[in-house]
Amino acid sequence: MSAIERLRAQVKTADGLKPLRVLSASGQLGYGVPEAAFNEGLKREPHFIGCDMGSIDPGPYYLGSGNIATSEAQTRGDLALVLKGAHSHNVPLLIGTAGCAGAAPHLDAVLDMVRAIAHAEGLHFKLASIRADMPRDVVKHAIRQGKVKSLGAIADLTEADVDASTQLVGQMGIEAFQRALTAGADVVVAGRACDTAVYAAIPGMLGYELGPAMHMAKIVECASLCTTPGGRDALLGTLETSGGGSFIVDSMNPIRNASPMSVAAHSLYEQGDPYRVYEPEGTLHVDSAKYEQLDAHRTRVSGARWAPAQQFTVKIEGAAKVGERALMLAGCADPRAIAAMKEILPAVEKTVRELTAKTVKEKYEVYHRVYGIDGVFEWGGPPRELPREVFVMVEIIAETADAAKAVATVFKQFTLHHGFPGRISTGGNLAFPFTPPEVVTGPAYRFSAYHVMAVDELAALFPVTVEQL
Amino acid sequence: MKLIDLAKVIRSKNAGPTTLTLDILFNDEAGYQRALNSPSLQPQAIAPLYGLKPEQVELIPYAPAMAIKISMDRKVVAGNPGDRDVYGAQQHGPLLEIEI
Repeated sequence: MSAIERLRAQVKTADGLKPLRVLSASGQLGYGVPEAAFNEGLKREPHFIGCDMGSIDPGPYYLGSGNIATSEAQTRGDLALVLKGAHSHNVPLLIGTAGCAGAAPHLDAVLDMVRAIAHAEGLHFKLASIRADMPRDVVKHAIRQGKVKSLGAIADLTEADVDASTQLVGQMGIEAFQRALTAGADVVVAGRACDTAVYAAIPGMLGYELGPAMHMAKIVECASLCTTPGGRDALLGTLETSGGGSFIVDSMNPIRNASPMSVAAHSLYEQGDPYRVYEPEGTLHVDSAKYEQLDAHRTRVSGARWAPAQQFTVKIEGAAKVGERALMLAGCADPRAIAAMKEILPAVEKTVRELTAKTVKEKYEVYHRVYGIDGVFEWGGPPRELPREVFVMVEIIAETADAAKAVATVFKQFTLHHGFPGRISTGGNLAFPFTPPEVVTGPAYRFSAYHVMAVDELAALFPVTVEQL
Repeated sequence: MKLIDLAKVIRSKNAGPTTLTLDILFNDEAGYQRALNSPSLQPQAIAPLYGLKPEQVELIPYAPAMAIKISMDRKVVAGNPGDRDVYGAQQHGPLLEIEI
């Protein structure tokens, strides 16, 4: 009997479906899973365990480079913990957005870790992997047919953007996970996936109402972030069927309490619109949701609605290399240099561009940041009082690391000795905390795609492979 | 009254790499209603603080959490060259001193 058939037999009764317990082990696998709460979750006999492993938040580097954002040792440890937990309780384990960005190199790295852990621990199970890399020809065809739209403030996607992308992924929905489970998977490791799909796929297959199931998925996918005080501990969601469906939010750390306010507020988090969540297969509406205190620790949520889509859509994400990055890092404590810094840096850039014209043939980009003035936010003017010290970062992006470093080095020297009206400290304008103060940081990327593509069939885009370990 | 003295939480974060979303949570219904009715939190007032046009800014009241959400276009896609805040977690500064 497959894992999903076993679950079906467990929850199905003549009177309907029993409550379904869903354990969210981690909102970002690879940064450490608090073990006490996870073990408490296992004691509650969950029907399945889910983990989210990725996000687009850390920027285009991880997607573009194929590198994982978390440390290998920590990631391996987290994977071992959840694999052993699911195996010892004989329940399915679903992992979404493998290796932070969910493209082929991320997924392959995580699958290798899972195989190595299974081998080392003597675990045997059916492992399903789901790829999320978008076929370039399919996306280009969709562009030509006008089926690709920008998501927010980004230019229309072009075929050149598709070609320039080192990685191009799509976010899979519940359909892909359901295919993997139908194929007999005990453990599913997915490439780029909607966070909700990890937690709503099984309830959807077993016949639970998708409105409450999707809403629960949206809340539990961040583990105990929806509690007060918020944290990363495992969270148990219990899906109920009476009265149109509801779910209970229960943190596995006793100090983290779910209140109607804390759970409702979580709908705001990293969401442009707190009332609607768009998924490949439809839209979740939470404007009708009701939040009710069950006891000091738990909250019950009901009332969310699921509207199936007339047209399937897939969010696509791509990253392209823009060059190699080098930085010049320095501080300054001279009041006149601080006051003039916003003029000094453009003036030095002009000099540097002239000086390097013969030696650096390629084009390069320069970005100045004066921390203490407007390094973080473009305030549109200096502060009322200038700070006592500022930190200066000059970022160079060039085609090669050598060129970027060469420009940063020249920039350092000419900023150090730049003359400006009223200069009083003629020894040098900068304090270097160490040398060399110019640092090569490696390839720089940009998001080449953050768009939504209308598709007629989802399955072909997210192929499932099953292997017996 | 300044927003920083009225609100319980004032935070910013990306909602995807092209959108910045600001959440303002209040301690009580009175504070929430006061802020909601204040012209200084309307898109016309917020947009210039972020170098945007009013149509690039959307205000969404969220009564279940006594919260006001303000979502807006990012001027630079998160993490692209020229960005200053990849996660968008430090873009709430201009809200703090707003008079309600």
